[in-house]
Amino acid sequence: MSATEAPAPKPAPRVDPATLESAKKVAAVRRRNRGPFARLRSWLDLHFYSLVSSLGRMAQRPAATTMTIGVMAIALALPLALWLALANVQRFSGTVSASRQITVFLHQDTGLDRANALATQLRARHDVANVIVRTPDEGLAEFRKMSDLAPSLDALEGNPLPPVLLVDPADDGAALAASLQAMPEAEIVQHDAVWRDRLSAWLAFGARIAWVLAVLLGAGALLVVGNTVRLDIQSRSDEIGVLQFLGATDGFVRRPFLYLGAIYGLAAGGLALGLLALAGVALQPSLARLVTSYGGGFALQGPGLVGALALLGGALLLGWLGAWLATGHHLRRNRPTRD
Amino acid sequence: MTLLRFDAVSKRYAGGHEALSDVSFAVEPGEMLFVTGHSGAGKSTLLRLIHLAEQPSRGTVLMEDRNLAKLRGRKVALQRRRVGVVFQDHRLLLDRSVYENVAMPLVIAGVPRAEIGPRVRRGLEKVGLADRERAKPRELSTGEQQRVGIARAVVAQPPLLIADEPTGNLDPTLAVDIMDLFASLPALGTTVIVASHDLMLVKRMRKRVLVLDHGRVLDDIPATELAS
Repeated sequence: MSATEAPAPKPAPRVDPATLESAKKVAAVRRRNRGPFARLRSWLDLHFYSLVSSLGRMAQRPAATTMTIGVMAIALALPLALWLALANVQRFSGTVSASRQITVFLHQDTGLDRANALATQLRARHDVANVIVRTPDEGLAEFRKMSDLAPSLDALEGNPLPPVLLVDPADDGAALAASLQAMPEAEIVQHDAVWRDRLSAWLAFGARIAWVLAVLLGAGALLVVGNTVRLDIQSRSDEIGVLQFLGATDGFVRRPFLYLGAIYGLAAGGLALGLLALAGVALQPSLARLVTSYGGGFALQGPGLVGALALLGGALLLGWLGAWLATGHHLRRNRPTRD
Repeated sequence: MTLLRFDAVSKRYAGGHEALSDVSFAVEPGEMLFVTGHSGAGKSTLLRLIHLAEQPSRGTVLMEDRNLAKLRGRKVALQRRRVGVVFQDHRLLLDRSVYENVAMPLVIAGVPRAEIGPRVRRGLEKVGLADRERAKPRELSTGEQQRVGIARAVVAQPPLLIADEPTGNLDPTLAVDIMDLFASLPALGTTVIVASHDLMLVKRMRKRVLVLDHGRVLDDIPATELAS
């Protein structure tokens, strides 16, 4: 049937009573919904809509979501792991340096009385904080405890170890070590300053590497989120066009994607913390054995509450920023007006 | 106050094609206007200028005395909320329900949730789809989809509704129904501009007709002339 065969036009309908009644109800609801609280609720509604919309998008593509979060989590976990490792090494070296005495091995024929007298003399010096005398018997007992050579030690006729003075310097100890070396009773003077300086240099270098890695991998995480959001935007460009025709502002279009990026970031941050915790659990037993050989009671420490919150906040910000860049790029390129 | 005014508007696209040339007309509130002409006459361009999808190369488009070419940024979005649009291909959000599609302009405008429900249901009642609010667009016939598009365009009660070939994909009976639906809107306070190349259907409605030809206004026929 063509339009020409259509029946005569109906007169334009007047507003019927039912419509009027319905309109009155709507008007009543609108009156109730004015004022600051209604506006706040409306604003919250918009954000709730955006949040639900973002979660829906993630749920629609579980595999892609998991992979994005996984890649981002690894990118975040790597520099953080390096930082934590350095912090732990620094802490450990601090523990060692707390007992970083100058070790003075006296000649074997030095008697214990002479060793005690030397200790008393040294304690009187202003550049000495403390002196401990370790007798040959104590040395042998410690040696027996820390090694598997007990049967061989039992086979020895006497104690071959000399008395040892453990001297804690009050300053950096360099001058003190030199003066101790000059003592006639001293056979070997062992001062740990050199290796400590080297360790400090390596730690500083490691910290710099951690920064570089953090910047590079952070940029990588940003690009991962940006690219994921970009693909999401591309697959929904028709929908975005419709929303813009319906009067959606850039903020309205952008908001669900910002939530998406922020949720990606937050989830990736949480996963990164989980990965680090797992790594810590895996490393702790072997580390404990290693640390025991240094005689320390050292345990691995994680990022702590503040560190964890900082990681989560940083990750959230990275995800948000990646999404903001991707949506901004799209909105600029595909603005359906005025170009 | 005149709702819409075109003053010597021309639109030339980047390739040099002049889609509109020196077009002038005015539309009063509560009017229904058909824009007709052959394919390429400039109907769609005219509507795109009203809806800020394009800007004129020359001349001014004024809505409620506001020069649309001077709007920037957020004001463009706010202005678009004052114009309901019905597309030939409906442009519904396919993964959302009928209710969500119709509610979208209200969500965008920040209307409180408590107010959205009654207004959406009222809009759906108006287009005869009150019982389909949970359906997805793909579950609807073409005519029903177009009705959803109309409900979406009018739910926020914009002062102006524009429709670009809204019956292009419909059979003649459905086309008449849809046109009757448009004809009912001015009584509810919405001015309607419909672009259609179906001259028979346009004549049948007996409303004001603006005839375009190669981008120029060939004729502006008042409703009274067609009614007689």
